[in-house]
Amino acid sequence: MKANYLPKNRSKHLFFRPVLALVIVLISGAIIFSVLDRTIISAVAPAWRAENVIIRSWRSGLAFFSSRQALSAENTALKERLTSLELSILSMSKNSIQEDTILEWAGRRQVSNMIVAAVLTHPPQTPYDTVVIDAGSNDSVALGSTVSLPEGPVLGTISEVFPKLARVKLFSASGEETNAILERNSVPITLVGAGGGNFKLMLPRDIAIEVGDRILVANITARLLGIVGDVSIEPTDAFKQVLAKSPANIFALRFVFVTP
Amino acid sequence: MTRRILGFVIVLIAILVLPYWIYIPVLFLAILVFPFFWEGILFALLINLVHGGGGDILSLLFSPLALMVLIALIMLWLLRKNLRSYA
Repeated sequence: MKANYLPKNRSKHLFFRPVLALVIVLISGAIIFSVLDRTIISAVAPAWRAENVIIRSWRSGLAFFSSRQALSAENTALKERLTSLELSILSMSKNSIQEDTILEWAGRRQVSNMIVAAVLTHPPQTPYDTVVIDAGSNDSVALGSTVSLPEGPVLGTISEVFPKLARVKLFSASGEETNAILERNSVPITLVGAGGGNFKLMLPRDIAIEVGDRILVANITARLLGIVGDVSIEPTDAFKQVLAKSPANIFALRFVFVTP
Repeated sequence: MTRRILGFVIVLIAILVLPYWIYIPVLFLAILVFPFFWEGILFALLINLVHGGGGDILSLLFSPLALMVLIALIMLWLLRKNLRSYA
């Protein structure tokens, strides 16, 4: 007797097998990476340090061989210096000296030990407005510490600390909400990060605001946080949309100060 | 196999030292070039871990890039399965 064994319909199993394998890779990868996150970051850090060193030596090497390159480097350095000085001027409030005196009288003068840290990665290498710095818990960097530029403007806070490294989440990270003060009329506002060093906020249309207005941190230090870049309002709207930008060029960060 | 390993190394170096507008296209190019490039999921997780919000398991698991890579891999696998070459 001839038995006829029809092949089972295995096509469905064959279809789901690679999909299942990919999902398993995703889940197991996420578990392994979350367990080994500190190890992985520590393993990757030397590559970033080496990259920084190589880029600097490469630039200086080229400048040595070519006068044009030297001029270009000098030009870049002067531009950086100019930006730094402009930032310092911007950071100085009109009444900063008076405020300092009042704070001193009130016994609230800010005396803090700052930690200088080199920036290992910054946007556009990181797509989420995060920065990795080369100071960590070994250097007294703590979660939530404020990170600022040497010139004064604040950039963000420490979101993750490793022994020798720390990750900084910039205030301009997408969706990040920060309480701030509009300097022109001392209106408290909430800045919403829009990525790429930009912020957006909504204001009632009656509140006066102009391009170039300064936005300050809503604490006793009142340091510079952003500068108004654009104001748009429709005749029918009750609110106006304001776009602001970070005073620092987050794409060219080299050193930052951390206030523990 | 050598090409695949070379591709793996290139994507890894790109993630570590190059801007995101280079390494994300490089990652998707590798997914396109190499058949069933499951390592792409690990690279997407690495990007989220190293450059993104951190090592939280949920943020890794539901990171948009990792999910996009997963979908791209499934779509490409389906496409390759249904494409027949008579050459």
